[in-house]
Amino acid sequence: MMMSPAVLTRRAAPVLACIGLLAVWQVASLALKNDSFPTAVEAVRAIPDILGDKESLTNILASLRRMAIGFGVAVLVSIPLGLLMGRSRAIAAFFNPLLMVIYPVPKAALMPIIMLWLGVGDVTKTLVIFLGVSLPVIYHSFEGAKAVEEKMLWSGAAMGLSPAQRLVRIVLPAALPEILTGCRTGLVLALITMITSEMIARQSGAGNILFNALDMGQYDTVFAMIIIVGAMGICLDAIFERVRARLVRWSEPQFDMPLSFS
Amino acid sequence: MMSRLLPSNLVLGIAPIVLVIALWQGLVSFGFAPAVLLPPPGFVFSRLLQQLVTLTFQQEIAATLIRLFAGFAIAVVLGVSIGIAAAASPAINAVVRPIVRVLAPLPKVALYPALLLLLGFGHGSKVTLVAADALFPILLSTYYGASTVEQKLIWSAMAAGTPRYEILFKVVLPAAMPSILTGCRIGLVISCIVVFLAEMITSTDGLGHALVTAARTFQAVDMFVPLITISLLGLILNGLLGAVRSYLLRGFPEA
Amino acid sequence: MKAQQNGRGSNDAPHGCENDRLSGRLLAKFVPLNVRASETEDGMTVVPARPSEWMSPVTSQEPASAIIEINHVSQVFQTSARKDHLALSDISLTIEEGAFVSILGPSGCGKSTLLYIVGGFVSPTSGMAKIRGHAITAPGPDRGPVFQEFALFPWKTVLGNVMYGPRQQGVRTAEAEAQSRALIEMVGLKGFENFFPKELSGGMKQRVALARTLAYHPEVLLMDEPFGALDAHTRTRLQNDLLNIWERDRKTVLFVTHSVDEAVFLSDKVVMMSKSPGRIRQVIDIDLPRPRRRNELLLDPQYQKYVVDIERMFDESDEAGAPT
Repeated sequence: MMMSPAVLTRRAAPVLACIGLLAVWQVASLALKNDSFPTAVEAVRAIPDILGDKESLTNILASLRRMAIGFGVAVLVSIPLGLLMGRSRAIAAFFNPLLMVIYPVPKAALMPIIMLWLGVGDVTKTLVIFLGVSLPVIYHSFEGAKAVEEKMLWSGAAMGLSPAQRLVRIVLPAALPEILTGCRTGLVLALITMITSEMIARQSGAGNILFNALDMGQYDTVFAMIIIVGAMGICLDAIFERVRARLVRWSEPQFDMPLSFS
Repeated sequence: MMSRLLPSNLVLGIAPIVLVIALWQGLVSFGFAPAVLLPPPGFVFSRLLQQLVTLTFQQEIAATLIRLFAGFAIAVVLGVSIGIAAAASPAINAVVRPIVRVLAPLPKVALYPALLLLLGFGHGSKVTLVAADALFPILLSTYYGASTVEQKLIWSAMAAGTPRYEILFKVVLPAAMPSILTGCRIGLVISCIVVFLAEMITSTDGLGHALVTAARTFQAVDMFVPLITISLLGLILNGLLGAVRSYLLRGFPEA
Repeated sequence: MKAQQNGRGSNDAPHGCENDRLSGRLLAKFVPLNVRASETEDGMTVVPARPSEWMSPVTSQEPASAIIEINHVSQVFQTSARKDHLALSDISLTIEEGAFVSILGPSGCGKSTLLYIVGGFVSPTSGMAKIRGHAITAPGPDRGPVFQEFALFPWKTVLGNVMYGPRQQGVRTAEAEAQSRALIEMVGLKGFENFFPKELSGGMKQRVALARTLAYHPEVLLMDEPFGALDAHTRTRLQNDLLNIWERDRKTVLFVTHSVDEAVFLSDKVVMMSKSPGRIRQVIDIDLPRPRRRNELLLDPQYQKYVVDIERMFDESDEAGAPT
């Protein structure tokens, strides 16, 4: 299928941006001539070594699995909670202050404390990811549910839908664009929390590979790993954006630059 | 970000916090959790107060705050100027947009090892990491605010004789202010979180370092203290910015 | 009172100009069309327009005191990648100094776009607009807009909004403030100087917007459905007040509206437009005495006849088969 030039440009722009950034890196590293700053080419060459190494690959895949579980559970819990909060003043008043207090706590920083209680296993790491993802998803679900037009719910009630049915069949779809915005933020956050907690705990996983390589002076590996993690972030975001666009085709075109933070 | 979740019903809101603390106390009192692992809340808070007046702890806070503000300030300056420029100029937009698309979902913390290699273990790498993390929410909301400024505001100013370049400062910037401040608020909380994490990963001072030191010696109480401090700092700074916001936006509806 | 500032954009606002908000340039392509608008000035001899009549040659009468000339202006908007929309087709119009001229037409006939072209906010795809013989290329303080959406600066108080223009013109603060306070009093908002726009009702906001525009003494007022967002009662009061203000200095006013009553009540001349593509189908002189009093005018058979005739003409053109 032929694509129009405009579409082609839009698709190609991020790729061009990647190439441009790598080029800037290459020039900078050549100019700086710093031993600890490998060129982009050297870093890219080191990628196959990492992905080819069985132990590294297992580590990365284990990280991704924990991330998927943490993200999945967080979404399943947070969306209903957020929707309920959005539709009931009492529930919102009950949870809001608690969430406000938890909000500025760095989730990955809970790692040492949770490790103290639950050990260094998968449960700890997954729990931290779960905590990291929950808040934005709750917040966006809450905002989405709150903004659902009252008249739409009245129409539903007039058609004989029970409150529970209204929540599932009206509030959920109406708030979906906003919910998915929260999930998108949550997804990037899951990755960030995963890396950070692994950097802090230094036991296993992608974050650990980064710092092990740093400690052993394998600078190519450090930068190659950064590329891998960066690519994971960009790919996950792109895939999610596809899914999102498909799910909420009916809604107003959304602001298309992703918002993400840790 | 959570600012709009202000308690409408204070009693109902305090209830879960009281419950959590009661549960915490209960777990310790009834021996479900040994005090070594989970120190009782009273102990933690008295330790916090005790620490807050010591000079060493205040120095840790100062180190953290310096990094936080430096990084946040850089992020605000860069984010607002790039955001406005991208909204005002199609050429800049064409360059900035794809780069932001690539860099925004990238987990910035993964860059930290690289920053350590390039900028050393001192302030530089941490400030840069904070700036990199806080930059994007500020940039994106500035861009969003600036590109959705009502056309007719701009026209009204142009008709009154405002030159084109002045429009950016006299109309676009103030009109985008609600959006910019929302971005700043998100950026500020992120700054708090990131500076703490960076200090945990590698540092010789700061609140994050205090937590790691306590963790190495299994001092559960001392682990809670810096964590609560950084969260309080986050809440206080958030509140201060909220006050600034409501003053600056006093003319805007729903602010 | 809360007024929604957003989401009330006029229907004929150009599409596809999102990317270029600041420069006001529009990505538009010119599609030549051999259709002409005729400018008939025969007052009450209102004849149903037929396409054949649109083809009649332009009667160019150049009044000595023409302030605005619109020469063969066409405007094409790109609505999507492939489709173009001809918003205005070969419009020619002359506006005399001191005249109150209304542009009347259904939504989507490009009447606001025509106003924006005179304002210099939008560049026409072809043709040109002139003010006092100079081509219009950009907005300027000689043409002051008043928008349906008010477009007040939310971060400035009432006084700050009104003072904006004079300050921009280099008037000293004290002087600008004195002038602005006088204007605020004139539009009936004394005592509200330090209020923010959000604290005012829709009608009050529009009074502020009018004062803000009058403050920099434009030669021409460009009013884009200024009362379209107001309730009927407020609307009537503002119409009366606008006429009173206009009687004082008889500025040239170009007034866009879709209300027949409003156009007849206010104007010396009503320019009727038809849509798809937007063309002038008739220019009608409103020969009613001034100063006009609403309660007298509504009972005036001549006023009623103008209204009924104009409405009938719109109806007939609808029946004649709306163009695709």
